[in-house]
Amino acid sequence: MTSTAPSETPVLSTEHVWKVFGQKPERAVQLAEAGESRSDILAETGCTIGVRDVSFAVKPGETFVVMGLSGSGKSTLIRCAARLIDVTRGTVHIDGADFTAMNSQQLREVRRKKLSMVFQHFGLFPHRRVIDNACYGLEIQGVAKEERHERALEVLGVVGLSGFEYHYPQQLSGGMQQRVGLARALCVEPEILFFDEPFSALDPLIRRDMQDELIRLQQEMKRTIVFITHDFAEAIKLGDRIAIMKDGAFDQVGTAAELIRNPATDYVREFTEDIPKAKVLTARDIMSSGGDSSRRVESSASVLSLVPMLLNDPTPIAVTEDGFVIGQVDKATVATFMDEA
Amino acid sequence: MTAPASSERSAWTRYVPFLAVVGAAVAIQFLVTSEFPARLDNFFSDPVDSLGAWGQVNRRTGTHPLFTLVFNPLTSAVDGGIELLETILSWLPWYILPTGIFVLIARRRRFLDATVAAAAMIYPGLMGLWDPTIETLALMSFAVLVSAAIGIPLGIWAAFRPRVEATLRPFLDIMQTVPAFVYFLPLLILFGIGKTNGAIATIIYALPPVVRLTTLGIRSVPKQSVEASDMFGASTSQTLFKVQIPTAMPTILAGISQTIMMALGIVVLAALVSAGGLGGLVLQSLQARRSGRGIAVGLAIVAVAMILDRVGRSLADSDRSKKLSQPARYGLLGGLFVGTAGGRLMEWTRFPSIWAPRSFDWIDTGVDWAIANWSPYTRAINDFIGGGIVVPLRNFFIGTVSWPALMLLVAFIVWRMAGPRLAVFSVLAMAFIGLIGLWDLSIDTVIQIMIAVIIAVVIAVPLGVMAGRNERVEAALGPILDGLQTIPSLVYIIPVVTLFTLGPMPGIIASVLYAMVPGVRITALGIRNVPSESVEASETFGATRPQTMFGVRIPLAAPTIMTGINQVIMMVLAMVVIAGLVGGGALGFETVRALTRNLYGHGFEVGLAIALIAMVLDRSTQALARRFQPPAAT
Repeated sequence: MTSTAPSETPVLSTEHVWKVFGQKPERAVQLAEAGESRSDILAETGCTIGVRDVSFAVKPGETFVVMGLSGSGKSTLIRCAARLIDVTRGTVHIDGADFTAMNSQQLREVRRKKLSMVFQHFGLFPHRRVIDNACYGLEIQGVAKEERHERALEVLGVVGLSGFEYHYPQQLSGGMQQRVGLARALCVEPEILFFDEPFSALDPLIRRDMQDELIRLQQEMKRTIVFITHDFAEAIKLGDRIAIMKDGAFDQVGTAAELIRNPATDYVREFTEDIPKAKVLTARDIMSSGGDSSRRVESSASVLSLVPMLLNDPTPIAVTEDGFVIGQVDKATVATFMDEA
Repeated sequence: MTAPASSERSAWTRYVPFLAVVGAAVAIQFLVTSEFPARLDNFFSDPVDSLGAWGQVNRRTGTHPLFTLVFNPLTSAVDGGIELLETILSWLPWYILPTGIFVLIARRRRFLDATVAAAAMIYPGLMGLWDPTIETLALMSFAVLVSAAIGIPLGIWAAFRPRVEATLRPFLDIMQTVPAFVYFLPLLILFGIGKTNGAIATIIYALPPVVRLTTLGIRSVPKQSVEASDMFGASTSQTLFKVQIPTAMPTILAGISQTIMMALGIVVLAALVSAGGLGGLVLQSLQARRSGRGIAVGLAIVAVAMILDRVGRSLADSDRSKKLSQPARYGLLGGLFVGTAGGRLMEWTRFPSIWAPRSFDWIDTGVDWAIANWSPYTRAINDFIGGGIVVPLRNFFIGTVSWPALMLLVAFIVWRMAGPRLAVFSVLAMAFIGLIGLWDLSIDTVIQIMIAVIIAVVIAVPLGVMAGRNERVEAALGPILDGLQTIPSLVYIIPVVTLFTLGPMPGIIASVLYAMVPGVRITALGIRNVPSESVEASETFGATRPQTMFGVRIPLAAPTIMTGINQVIMMVLAMVVIAGLVGGGALGFETVRALTRNLYGHGFEVGLAIALIAMVLDRSTQALARRFQPPAAT
């Protein structure tokens, strides 16, 4: 899922979104704009700033990851974007329409047609069988039982749950429960998928499986995804672009390579330090302009995979994309990333 | 940093307030020797008496709109509803009711439940108790249905509106604290004697658990499930009916179960206001001292409760995957229909009973044997508790201690347990009880309650600790506790009354038997829920088993055990009227007297006194339970 997202009009965007919890939100926003700290604002107004002036736009088919630690406001942000809670100030647009201004009738309409969400603790319905969980969205839309069951069976097959359709969710393992959550979200063929830390509650190995599964599905579906995580490695693995969130605001937004090569703040740098850069960065990320050579690599090859070639022969290697040479990498550049890793 | 001050005080100074109060009490003792001035003796009873007379007239021939437009139609509606149920149930051929119940429950393949419920329906028929059982079944189904119909929507409303819940909470608290029989008297004024009174008292008494558990159930639905439903564009009512209510259903059902148990508890008492049915037969067995017949009827009451519980569970089972095949369902329904039509044509409506309650008379023989052989012991116990404890205590607190001294002592104890507000409340409550002229009777009642509570706690807590530590003990105790809780207490009181004949002893023993159940259960729960890590930590320091028990398990379980003791007190209070009925006298007997002789004013005062006593005892023990709780994390 590397960045080749077309630059069209955004499917989802937020403009200067604020979310304040407490009795005097307007006053809290004023104080925050005047530069007062979170703790001072809490002391003065009793309000907590959840999201602080966040703007972003997600392009069609793009996976936009918001990464932050607990308390950073990422969960609040996704709830504002999905209007599970109302914003204090700012707007959210979906397909150009002002989502924040819609009445409850319009809101339901948009949700039925365009949105889906996958939850950290799955949010499954324990009284419904897997198949009835999966087709819940269609049931809400009033789709006939036969038809929605047919669709649910199909989607459950896609996420690898064939044979478990008539079990109850609590009879399944955590990883399989989240597959139900995923199937339920996909069943309605949403334009935008919200993922709220969907894999955080899973074991590391299951988590990796689910990430691979999502990458596989996304290659086929090309949906627009907003993905929340506290795991930087997960963000790099899944995200076309990544926003690092701290104290309710974005510290930096960019591709994985941009964050790793040019961290904007010390906070972002701290996350990138533990990342094996040679594995994450590709030839394209570190190439310099240069000519052809007898040795060529694909632009998507990892820096690590270049090492054996350069050990045998230190001369620069040409980087190609779609058969054309677009640059070259030399041993010295590769070596700097090996040092850091 | 406020707490350490008190714990650092020396042992001597800690007793200063206590000594001061005792000193003051002794001083007052010499100053005031008069009885409590019952200045308001007729203040309430006279107006309530005339209100009662006014109600009595208006119910029959009245023109007052309150009766012609509200209470009389309500009475007819409730009576009509219960009678309609009765008529339908007794119109059916006798075998249709058990088979119908079986089919209803078996439609979801719950064959065990279906068999149990059908057997429970057959027992009263075989025992020759068909008609009174139908009466009780109709009364209880009506009460439970109305409780659910009011309680579930109310609970849902409260779950969504914190303000509604805050408004409801004190009412629910009082409804659960005040013993059920207290409701009979005011209802007597409005609805007279009969089924309506019994049904409405049952509904009021049995309502709180449905409301509470519905609210709890809806609140406990995981937030993400609701968000998930919202995200699919579900409307509020879609989310409510498709997600929140089904997810909360197990908790709501637990509430209905409790409601059924509470209705069961009141069904015998309802006979005091002529609600008839099985309760009336139990009362008759008590008056005739026929233990066997009482048990035969008591088991029929238990059967009714089991039927209601199983049917209720089955009706709430929405799991369609377990339903029978379509031909089977239509076949069974058709069979029922044909069976009904055929049975009606052949007039097979009387259950072919093969026994009668007198079939259990052999139990009386056993009781007679026990009387003949055990009387030296029972008399000794009777003399010890009655003559050696109750009478001297009564003489001391009523005759010797002067009223202001007693008020001071009670206020001090309540203040130490629950703080100044409840202490003030308890003083006001005592003053009120004295003013309306019930000082002596109330003290008598409280003494008997306290003796029963102490005996129940002394038995229940060690049993509970044993049960909590050892699963075998718990498994062995289980059926006994279930039996004590489901069989109406009046039933097992009969042999006790026959054995101990007179005085407060039968009432105390019955109260102890009935009230120790939650004491054992909740103590066992508290001991079992002590985190195993805490116990292991204690053991790794080389603590002996008693050290671990008294140093870790019991202190950690203390808040739960205290809650159990609170429950014991509430159950003993619920038994006050029954204890009074069988010789305990005091307020319990006054209640019965007022109910059976239409003493509206007196009954109203007695009810108020019992309610006030219940509130003080409940709040002070609850406060104590909270004090045992370790401080919450900040």
